[in-house]
Formats: sequence, structure tokens, C-alpha cells
Amino acid sequence: MWEIIRQIFPYAIAFTIPLLITALGGLFSERSGVVNIGLEGLMVVGFFAAALTIYKLEPVMSNAVLRVILGLLAAVIAGVIFSLLHAVASIHMKANQVISGTAINMMAGAVTVYLARNITGSGNIHIEAGVPRKDVSFLGLVKIPVLGPLFFRQTYFTTWIVIAILLASWFILYKTSFGLRLRACGEHPHAAESAGINVYRMRYFGVLVSGAFAALGGAIIMVTYSGEFSGTVSGLGFLALAALIFGQWKPLGVLGASFFFGFASTIANVSQAVPALMAIPPILLKTFPYIVTLVALVLFSKSSQAPKASGIPF
Amino acid sequence: MPNQYKEQEDYIVKKGRKTMFMLLAALMTAFLLAGCTAGGGAKFKVGMVTDAGTIDDKSFNQGTWEGVVRATEELGIENNYIKPAGTTEADYLKEIGNLYDAGYKLIVAPGFKFETAIFHAQSKYEDAKFVIIDGSPHAGDYNVVVGKNTVSIFFAEEQSGFLAGVATALQLKEGDLGFIGGMKVPAVQKFNWGFQQGVAYANNNFGTNMTIKAENVIYEGSFDNVAAGQQLAAQMYDRGVKAIFAAAGGVGIGAITEAKVRASAGEEVWVVGVDVDQYAEGIYTEGKSAILTSAMKGIEQAAYDMVIAEKDGKFPGGQILTFNAKNNGVGIPRENPNLSDEVEEKVAQVFKDMQDGKIAVSDEQGSLIE
Repeated sequence: MWEIIRQIFPYAIAFTIPLLITALGGLFSERSGVVNIGLEGLMVVGFFAAALTIYKLEPVMSNAVLRVILGLLAAVIAGVIFSLLHAVASIHMKANQVISGTAINMMAGAVTVYLARNITGSGNIHIEAGVPRKDVSFLGLVKIPVLGPLFFRQTYFTTWIVIAILLASWFILYKTSFGLRLRACGEHPHAAESAGINVYRMRYFGVLVSGAFAALGGAIIMVTYSGEFSGTVSGLGFLALAALIFGQWKPLGVLGASFFFGFASTIANVSQAVPALMAIPPILLKTFPYIVTLVALVLFSKSSQAPKASGIPF
Repeated sequence: MPNQYKEQEDYIVKKGRKTMFMLLAALMTAFLLAGCTAGGGAKFKVGMVTDAGTIDDKSFNQGTWEGVVRATEELGIENNYIKPAGTTEADYLKEIGNLYDAGYKLIVAPGFKFETAIFHAQSKYEDAKFVIIDGSPHAGDYNVVVGKNTVSIFFAEEQSGFLAGVATALQLKEGDLGFIGGMKVPAVQKFNWGFQQGVAYANNNFGTNMTIKAENVIYEGSFDNVAAGQQLAAQMYDRGVKAIFAAAGGVGIGAITEAKVRASAGEEVWVVGVDVDQYAEGIYTEGKSAILTSAMKGIEQAAYDMVIAEKDGKFPGGQILTFNAKNNGVGIPRENPNLSDEVEEKVAQVFKDMQDGKIAVSDEQGSLIE
């Protein structure tokens, strides 16, 4: 058992990270009062922007790591710009946020493939090198018994960036007045406004952060396990939404939920290659995380702690 | 209050109907006009319906399309492809019908998933010609009926896999090998069985010492789960597998990504590509690729040949064609930078023996790992 976990863990973490950062983006948006079901589309935008940037830099820049960093930055910028559409529609225009988010999803898939074909001649953009994977030898971390091989073996540097963002998010949301204001806008925007908070500005911040994070998630898929832009992130954006709800709109809850999804999906994916898991029909493993989510959502629906004003135009 | 809403709703519905009607009318006019300009002359038009995946999937669809494009450009005739919204028989039939209605009378369909759709299309559109690659038309009961206007094309994947297996074993000499397949369908299985036979052949005749363990032979179950491809490959490489034969479309892309990451960190791991020469996909740094060689099938050539045959009035309707070593329909790439000259020579000899019938490769499982 231990051997299986030890073998799967690094790859499960790699799979979890894009999910985590995207769900975290959704958390900022919903906490500020705007539902963002466009996460999937925003991920695709980041996926594409990173792929294109790195692809274009390949002939002119020999430093692979620098290329990747620039690719991630480009993705974040593209995500912010693209999420502006959702922000303007749902905050200024007071449009239905679900419809606006759906529009983002539909548009992202089409626009990116169209651009990819026109710019590179193919809808699939292929990059040479992504993020190198390394053991963390710093302070001998990888040698710590039990934890070392689980958390510090074969890691991508993007993983540590995302963990840092997670901690910073928790701090900002719960330990600063800015975070309190942001959350107030999602709970009771009128009260927040009467206290002198600019609700529009807060909500814009929330949506743009969700765009940046979701795009970063898509870009991380590109530079870690995918290596090729294909026009879709196969529903990970929606899985991130589920993780957000499952995690009860709290950073640490989201961490737990996305790790659960990541680990369960990884087990399902590799079950056929692990003799001990071969006895279990793959279909059971593959549906397991979704069934658990459905059950959990039903159980938690009574005590759901969704931001009260989330989804309601101000 | 409710009344007001009702009125509003009625208005919207009426307005919607009107707009829709106008749109329809406009579309119909456009189609009529298009119909007028097309059609004339003895020239025919070549259409293609894509399987799951895009036209530039660097694999099946792209190979077929490139063949169609090469032939139609030489002949100066029109071509077009349509990507169906889904992968059901109804989706395929709809797009075949659309191509037919637009005057495309030679329609190419790549993939076994088209079998039932082509079965219906060949009798519904008797004046059109159909090419189905990797499959034979049937009504869902596997009673093959190749219509007079249809040609069904198969490849001897087992021979292609065999050659790749020989090349891999010769180059790596000893160690573990793995296989990742997409869906468990005949074309993929034949690659797998051929590969195993090729490795065994090299072990017996060239003194190599390669092993394939049952746990390292896996069908992922899809052609698009990139993450699973990467994770499966990682598990195998962690267990000491040196090279993985990935006959799995997008799943294979994940495996290639994993091999690239490891190869750039200095590990000696390889992927054997499939369908087309995937060398370029495996490049991780200047001049270095993680693709050892590729088990190719001449999809492009097959599509090209059929278009030319139709032009010459020699369309082999009603036939089932097999592209194999004898007619150069399968093989490994002409250039393999990761294989030594000596290995390439030996593989060329094996290829020749195969053409001469001295080496027989079975397309059935027999005692092999599923």
C-alpha cells in the first residue's frame, strides 16, 4: 500500500495543482459576489497563451526555464484580459453571470483553436520543453522519512508557486481588511457599500484574479503533464468549480477538495499499471470522485456556506 | 402582472420564429446558389469526414487529409472536410449527407467508428464513392457488406509493430519494454501483438534480451486522456521500463511528454511512435528526440491512391484492400536518427524477409499478452 502511494503521490500532486489554482481563482470571484462558471474557458485561454508564447520563443531563446516563466506570465495576462469580458458583462452590465460564464467557455475553445491554426498552422501547438522535474534537495527535504518521498520527490517549481499563492490568498482573505471587504461584497454588497466600500472595484478585482489564476492553471497543465495545446482542458475547469463548492468556498477546504479529486483521478488513471489495483474495475475508479462529489454536495447542501450575494448583480 | 409577462413572451416567441424563418430562407438561397455553381464538368470533388480528433491531430485524420490534399491539388479538383459534432453514427451520417448534398461524390472516412455509418451511406447515396480506412461497413452485426461503391482499407499493423519491435530490441539490447494502447480495438491490438512478436524475434535471432511484462501492457481506454498517458508512462518508467510503444493518439502525447521530461534530466527512456513518424514530437532539446522510431502505416498514401484511382476510373469498389509490407504500406520511418546504422540495416533485412514471405507475423493474440 505504502509503495503504491509513494509511487503515485508526485504525479497526483502534479495533477492537483492546476485544479487547485483554478478553484482558488473561482474562490476570489465568488467571494466578491460574482459566479464564474467560465473557469474552464479561462483555463483554455491560459493553456493557449502559454503554448503560443513558449512556441514562439523557442527559436530565439535558448533558456528553457525562462521561456516557461514568460509563458506563464503571458497566460496570466491573457487570462486577466479575457476575464474582463465576464467582469464587464456581469458587474457593469448586470448580465446573468451564468450566461456570461457560459459564453466565455464557448468562446475560449473556438477562439484559441482558430488563432492557433492561423498563427502556427495547426490547432495543436507542441512545445519542446516544459518545467523540469526535480527532487527538492534544499535542506535535505527529500530525505525526511515518509514526508520526503511524498512531497519533495519529483516536483515542479510551479507547484511551489501555487502553494505560495494559496497561503498568500488565505492571509489576504482572512487577515487583512482588504480581504474582509472583499468577502463583505459577496455576502451583503449593500451593507458593504454603506460602509464606504467600492463594491464594483472589489468585484472587478475578484473576477480578474479568477481569470489570472484559472489561466495560470491552464498554463501549468501545458508546461507540466500535457506538453501540447489541444484546445481543451477536458472539463478540469468544471471539476475546479466542484472542488470550490466541495471545499465550501474556503482556501484550505479547496486545497483538500482539489487534492481529493487529483488523487482519485490519478489512481483511476494509473490503476491498470499498478498490479495491486488491477482487480478493481477501472470504471469504478474513474467514476469514484464524481459519485463522492454528488453525495457530498447532497449532504452539504443544507449547511452550504456559499457567499450569500454570489450570483446576484449589484 | 402575469399577463404582461405572457404578452412579452408571446412577442419574443413570435419575433424568434420570424428571425428563424428569415435565417432559414437566407440559408436555403445560399445553398441553391452554391448548388448552381458546383456540379458541372466531369470533375469530381473529394470530401472527408473526420473521426474523433482534429484535422491536424498529427495522426490519423491528418494523414488521411494530407493524402486527399496531395491528390486533389495534383488533379486540380476541390476538396473539403467536415468535423462532426460528435462521434455517433448519426453525427457521421449527417456530415456525409452534407458533403453529398454539396456535390462531394468521393467521401473518405478514417477510422473503424465509421463502419456502420458507411454501411448506411453506401446504399443511400449510390452514385457516391466511399473510402473507409481501418474498417469495413456493417450494420452493427459485423456482417461485412462492402458496397460496389465502397472500398475498405486495412493496414497490416502487426507488421509495422513487428518492425518497430525488432528495431527497439536491437537498439536497446536488454531491459524492459512497455505498451500503452488507446482503446482496445483491432488496429491498436494488432500493433501490440506485432510489437511483442518483433521483440521476441529479435531475442531469438539477434541475441537481444528484452522483456515485456504483462503489467506493462495497458490499454488506457481512450485516445484523448493526455494526463493518463503521462501518469501511466511515469509508472512504467519508475519501474525501470526503458521504452514504451504508445499506440494511443493523445494518450501517447502524454507518454511522450513524460519521456521528454525524463530524457532532459538525463534518464535513458524512449517512446516508440505510431501511425506517422513522430520524431519531431519527441524533440526536447536541440537535435535530441525521445522518439526511438515509429511504427508507421501509409494512411496518406492510401488516401492519395484512392483519389487517383477514382480519377483514372479504376476505383476498386467492393474490395477490401490491405496495405502491408509487400506494397510498402507499413514500416518504420526512412530516417531514424536514434537508431544506429547497423540496427537500420538489420531492420531493412527483416523488412525484406517480410516482403518475401520469409517472416510471417500473426495478427492474432495467440499466446501473446492481450
